[in-house]
Amino acid sequence: MAQPIVQTIHRDPALFWWILLPITVVMVLTGILRHYAMILLQTAPKKQTLPQIRQQRSLVRGINLRTNARVLPPASFQARKAFMVSAYQEGKFLADPEARGKPRPNPMSDPAAMEGMMGMMKGNMAMMVPQTLIMGWINAFFSGFVIMKLPFPLTPQFKSMLQSGVGTRDLDVRWVSSLSWYFLTLFGLQPVYNFILGSNNSATQSTQQMAANPGAGMMGPEQDPDKLFLSEAENLEVLEYRWVLEGVEDRLVAKFA
Amino acid sequence: MNEERELAINPIVLTSMQHNTQVVSNIRSLTASLFGVAAGTLGMESYTGFVFYLIGTLIVSGLIFSFRAEGKASEYFHRPLGDLWGGDVVSGLSSFVLTWTLFYGLVRA
Repeated sequence: MAQPIVQTIHRDPALFWWILLPITVVMVLTGILRHYAMILLQTAPKKQTLPQIRQQRSLVRGINLRTNARVLPPASFQARKAFMVSAYQEGKFLADPEARGKPRPNPMSDPAAMEGMMGMMKGNMAMMVPQTLIMGWINAFFSGFVIMKLPFPLTPQFKSMLQSGVGTRDLDVRWVSSLSWYFLTLFGLQPVYNFILGSNNSATQSTQQMAANPGAGMMGPEQDPDKLFLSEAENLEVLEYRWVLEGVEDRLVAKFA
Repeated sequence: MNEERELAINPIVLTSMQHNTQVVSNIRSLTASLFGVAAGTLGMESYTGFVFYLIGTLIVSGLIFSFRAEGKASEYFHRPLGDLWGGDVVSGLSSFVLTWTLFYGLVRA
């Protein structure tokens, strides 16, 4: 058996300057633009009334008490727990004590909920719109060029995707058109953004939206604060409490023994 | 339960952990791109290139282990195996393939 003939294509060096480089530069710049667009699009958190902030923060206080319980001596922890549980159960921290037990209004009609959804929409739009635009741009200007050879073989299933616009049946799948370079840059540029924009940038994924405001996520407008308080009271009640200084003498002696 | 008690006595600071992971991730993405440049310039193809990447990341892990972690990986990482030796190997692969393809295309094909 002879070696299979290696297909070679002689390409104009201008293909590099006029296709490969522009796509790469445009992809990098789009990522940077998206990062700053996300910063601009972020709506400042709305000013809340004092009782609402109190309602949110007191829930966070209960959670903090629960997570840091082990550093408190037993007496202090029991006192705090008793206070928090009774206050939660009586609904002392509720922003609007009269609404207790009433059904929640439909979240679609609540303007605050709509705003949250709009924020998510904006994030998705900032991802989708540039991607479609750039794909359209590449398809319109650069389709039909074979620009590079992949260093690894692929199965023929990729042929229709990676060689779109190149109408040759027998061409090796390793020769790919400009659209596949676009895909490579789409997935591989994250480190580049990391070095340009610093870590936790929003050039590719918008994960940092969650971390914007602690407590706001837990107490979204669609959740009943009273229910959250009651469940938090229950969590405090069932917490298995162990003081961190329990048996510290033995540990200290063991350490120096 | 025993592990939980252990964590309560010797707590793990989340900020330091994130910082360590970030350092590893930065080193990984930079070296992955550079390995891609090397592999493309050397004209490696298919399996050779991927094996080259794996060997390269192993060497980099060893360097992180001996220089950045000073040989005491368990002091810097909660799970040294996953966070130091295997951390971000897959995410570095995409940038490796990017630069590999680019330089292979520029130099060889």
